[in-house]
Amino acid sequence: MTQGGHEAHPDLSLAWRERNGRDALRATGWTETELAELKGPDGGALNRRLALLTSEALQGGGEPACSPDTVRGPGRLLRSPPGSSLPLVAGRFEVEAGAVWFMPRFPFVAGMGYALLVYPSSAGDNASAGGARQSPRAWTIQRPAVDATPVARVVAIYPDVDEVPVNLLKFYVHFSEPMSEGRAQRAVSVCRDDTGEPIDGVFVPMDPELWDGARQRLTLLLDPARIKHGLVPNMEVGYPLMEGVPFRLQLGPEFRDARGRPLAAGAERRYAVGPEVRERVDPARWSLTAPAAGTLHALRVEFDRPLDHALLQRCLGIRDPEGAPVAGKGTTGPNEKSWQFEPESAWAEGRHRLRVERQLEDLAGNSPLRIFDRDMTEPDDGPDPSDLLALDFTCAAG
Amino acid sequence: MVDQATAQELGLAMGSPDIRSVGPLAFGPEGVLFVGDNVGASIFALDVGDAPAGGQPESLDLENLDTSLASYMGCSREDVQIRDMAVHPLSGNVFLSVMRGSGDAAIPVIARIDLEGGITDVALDNIGFSKTYIEDAADEDDPREVTRVKLRTVTITDMSYVDGLLVVAGTSNEEFSSTLRRIPFPFSGDTSSNSLEIFHVSHGRYETAAPIRAFVPYQGNNSILASYTCTPVVQFSVSQFKPGEMAHGKTVAELGAHNRPLDLVSYQHDDEEYLLVANDRHPLIKIACVDIDQQGALTVPDESLDNSPADPVTPGVGVPRQILPQPGVRRMANLSDDAVLMLQEDGEGHFHLHTYGVGEL
Repeated sequence: MTQGGHEAHPDLSLAWRERNGRDALRATGWTETELAELKGPDGGALNRRLALLTSEALQGGGEPACSPDTVRGPGRLLRSPPGSSLPLVAGRFEVEAGAVWFMPRFPFVAGMGYALLVYPSSAGDNASAGGARQSPRAWTIQRPAVDATPVARVVAIYPDVDEVPVNLLKFYVHFSEPMSEGRAQRAVSVCRDDTGEPIDGVFVPMDPELWDGARQRLTLLLDPARIKHGLVPNMEVGYPLMEGVPFRLQLGPEFRDARGRPLAAGAERRYAVGPEVRERVDPARWSLTAPAAGTLHALRVEFDRPLDHALLQRCLGIRDPEGAPVAGKGTTGPNEKSWQFEPESAWAEGRHRLRVERQLEDLAGNSPLRIFDRDMTEPDDGPDPSDLLALDFTCAAG
Repeated sequence: MVDQATAQELGLAMGSPDIRSVGPLAFGPEGVLFVGDNVGASIFALDVGDAPAGGQPESLDLENLDTSLASYMGCSREDVQIRDMAVHPLSGNVFLSVMRGSGDAAIPVIARIDLEGGITDVALDNIGFSKTYIEDAADEDDPREVTRVKLRTVTITDMSYVDGLLVVAGTSNEEFSSTLRRIPFPFSGDTSSNSLEIFHVSHGRYETAAPIRAFVPYQGNNSILASYTCTPVVQFSVSQFKPGEMAHGKTVAELGAHNRPLDLVSYQHDDEEYLLVANDRHPLIKIACVDIDQQGALTVPDESLDNSPADPVTPGVGVPRQILPQPGVRRMANLSDDAVLMLQEDGEGHFHLHTYGVGEL
């Protein structure tokens, strides 16, 4: 293959141009005879003599066995002898205004190189008749790369506590920008805080990863198979974390934001590891400080242990004495060990209810209904017979 | 392509579906393709327009599928993420859900590979389609919904069409639960009332619930074999499906640490039904359905099975199973009654399609 093609097309040049509202590749410098030939009576020569490949495919595959006569129909590609060829970039060639245009089926990729292959005028016709094929000439062009100045940062990591139970189930990592998926496995690591030694096999690889709708919060699940009592991995290798051995959660710059840029900086967080928590979440153990009626003071709820940050945002709600939902704002307190609720309007007088949804979990995945790995021989592990999923409090007149 | 009357019956209307991402695939009645869209929190039913083929497809083998897809889509191989694979029941064409690129630049692609290895893709405009959301809309009388950012999502991990219902396994990014949704098709918008939780008991003592990773209906759609995020392979009967209730499954195998079951497929050979379970670290395993039926629930680790010389990758407990030699199997689909198509990843991260006759499995 020849780069440049000085003999046949001394002036052929490629440029990115918008056409019909889309990015297109324009090739100019053809003679009028060539354009007329390419256009032909049926336009078929365009697809026989021209082909677009990515530079990566061209370099990886050498001679493109995806010769134009294997193209099936305009813009739809590829039919190739097994093992010998690559499909062409999907799209179609058109002749207009003294130029040849390539309209891609999928948008061109930033930073990617593309090669226009031009087969000599006799080659395509000979080849289709079974004759020898001459090598095409290739012109290459690069798409501009995106601005890669990193801006995204890790803004929060939950649990926001100093010590986690050894049977910790989840981390939540919040980013300042919408992020790209598919990087967590290489970007997230855990090591011992004392020796710096990596701890492997902590997380269960999720594919696809667990992101929120805005792609700004990533949920990392510690391997539940190693946490659950009774499962082989738990019996064989035990918990992913070690009680009494502090560790660091490390988030590397390998993450990419939604525009493909790396993190502005990695982040890490140190945790101590305490004993396992294997008890149902029990609202009866919480303490409530009821606000006075007629005020906008917050209702304060203190928990007996840290609870799951994400679930606290939606698993607690207030009902007024009539049973109607109370509008307002719930906020999680330090260490996810408390919650306060500020109403939009002053509290009514009388008995209110704090409702707890059954999905609420603590850091080890225990819910009000069951222990994460319920031992069926332990009556206390099972569904709560009293079904206590609400706490009442009274707003008294001030 | 389905005719107009059928399209109407199936609730499909012409238009451009707003598919934001493509994930799990499953075929339904009349060759309708279900596509899970995890970014859009939706499932689409598409009329992909394939014509029925004359006979059953025999085989398809394609090396370096990821490189070919990259070339076709004009991107680098790193930008190709193959999400799922399904075989069209009428045309025999192979459908792949592929994400090209990531982040803002991500483009969902439904690639179609014909039996000669030719790649095209399904035009996602002017196509017959219908759509349902994975979750019901937020409770309108909940004042917290007004200002709350949409943080909770459900990620679809697998889907199957079973007798008028699209069965969907999903994982929440918040609560750790095991919910199998059953969505009637044609879509009516009713999803939550048909969800159920499936628990299974490990070693007769620990009751456990976890997100289902992959599953396959078998025994004429009367049974489902499911693999869990926390490793067990669990069987349950479709007759246990009672809306809003909990169901209990039978743990039939546990595949050990540091391994995730990725995909399951069932096939018939010599009047017996078999199941294949593809794993990310352990080899491909084959289980005879008759062995599942005959085994009680797994109670204690069975040392005799662990020490089987046929299974070098101990541990693993449960039903007898055979290790198959096909390496790196990521996805499987029935190409025909006589052949299973496997998407295999090699040591360098390249993907290949290979067909295996049921007699050689």
